[in-house]
Amino acid sequence: MKKLIRLTVNDREYDVAVLPNQTLVDVIRYELGLTGAKKGCEMGDCGSCTVLMDGKPVNSCLVLAMQAAGRKIQTIEGIETENGLHPVQEAFVQKGAIQCGFCSSGMILTAKSLLDKNPNPTEQDIRKSLSGNLCRCTGYQHIIEAVKSVTP
Amino acid sequence: MLLPKFDFHAPETVNEACQMLSEYGLKAKLIAGGTDLMVNMKKKILAPEQIISISQIRELDHLDVSGDRILIGAGVTVADLCESKTIAGYLPALGQGANNLGTPLIRNLATIGGNIGSARPAADLPPGLMAYGAEVVLQSKAGIRTLPLDNFFLGPGFTALQPDEILTEIRILVPPAGSGAAYVNIGIRKAQDCNLVNVASYFALDSNGIIQNARVVMGCVGPKPFRAVSAEKILIGQKPDIQLFEKAGEAASADSQPIDDFRSCATYKRSMVGVLTQRTLQQAWTRIKNQE
Repeated sequence: MKKLIRLTVNDREYDVAVLPNQTLVDVIRYELGLTGAKKGCEMGDCGSCTVLMDGKPVNSCLVLAMQAAGRKIQTIEGIETENGLHPVQEAFVQKGAIQCGFCSSGMILTAKSLLDKNPNPTEQDIRKSLSGNLCRCTGYQHIIEAVKSVTP
Repeated sequence: MLLPKFDFHAPETVNEACQMLSEYGLKAKLIAGGTDLMVNMKKKILAPEQIISISQIRELDHLDVSGDRILIGAGVTVADLCESKTIAGYLPALGQGANNLGTPLIRNLATIGGNIGSARPAADLPPGLMAYGAEVVLQSKAGIRTLPLDNFFLGPGFTALQPDEILTEIRILVPPAGSGAAYVNIGIRKAQDCNLVNVASYFALDSNGIIQNARVVMGCVGPKPFRAVSAEKILIGQKPDIQLFEKAGEAASADSQPIDDFRSCATYKRSMVGVLTQRTLQQAWTRIKNQE
């Protein structure tokens, strides 16, 4: 049976009726229409479904929508401001860090959460923090360079 | 990928969760981080009718030093362990396990209680915890019992946890002065990998610099993480040095019971047990010397 839950996504509150066995990624994509988070492996391996939950990147394919009730969710659609793209998004465009784009939203969100916590990470810090986001185009070098270019 | 149909419950307290478990018994599964259960449900290995979420229960989130004990709530995430100064200061071997578990995304979800409760023989946290002599607290409607972690694991996926019990807390005595521990794991990749072999070692020196207590714990080389008893015997009563660590490594190799599988052959795992035992003992010793 569907239950009504309140989800806070990109600072907007949604009242959504969800099934107990619906994952957060499915609700975000199919109920809210936010398709930035992708469905790749659906097993928590690839990171294409990454969203920020209370500021921390998580695999939204492993979170039940009902468990996300009351938590603050941010998706790739929510990090742009009136001033334009988020600096990490802008860097991905400038450095050619986007190829097919399937991993980009996850990569950008994970990198954003790293930079929010540590504005001046080493290359090793960047590589370690992105180790749960796989790029099927193997464009890792440009991705690392893009994130590095945002640091002071 | 479809999940089985189930009802979802989100109790606010451990008592409420225990009440639900006693009602539903084997039909129910607890979910915290979900990084193990969700995958098993998607693979159709598990199909519980009732899911009881414990991730919103605040009384499972503590990480404190209380008197001579360190108390860790079962709901503490692996990322919290990585960032905790208490863990880095008192229990660095547990911190090493936490830092090597899964990926940053998984670590933000996965909990210490889940990593113990899922009882995978290759899990990253149990060897360090057992090396520190951790106890687990199991709560049910009937009351609370404690069990040494050594006696908690029964086999792959099997534990002493009864269907109506919840693992609520991990208790560890503050390691005494003159003791040190370390954890090392090896796998094919650095992240998102199942370990090939993992070892944690702990030892404590008396005032004369003699090893008075030692624990060596091996993962991936048996149906559950277990102690290398003959390695511990070799260490106790001796002064630490490289030759002694080598002998302990050989003994641990002999104690291990690895199997051939697609990850590697048993011969390789057995010889790596020896290498990792030596490395962990060496690191533990360096940590002791750095305290002085």
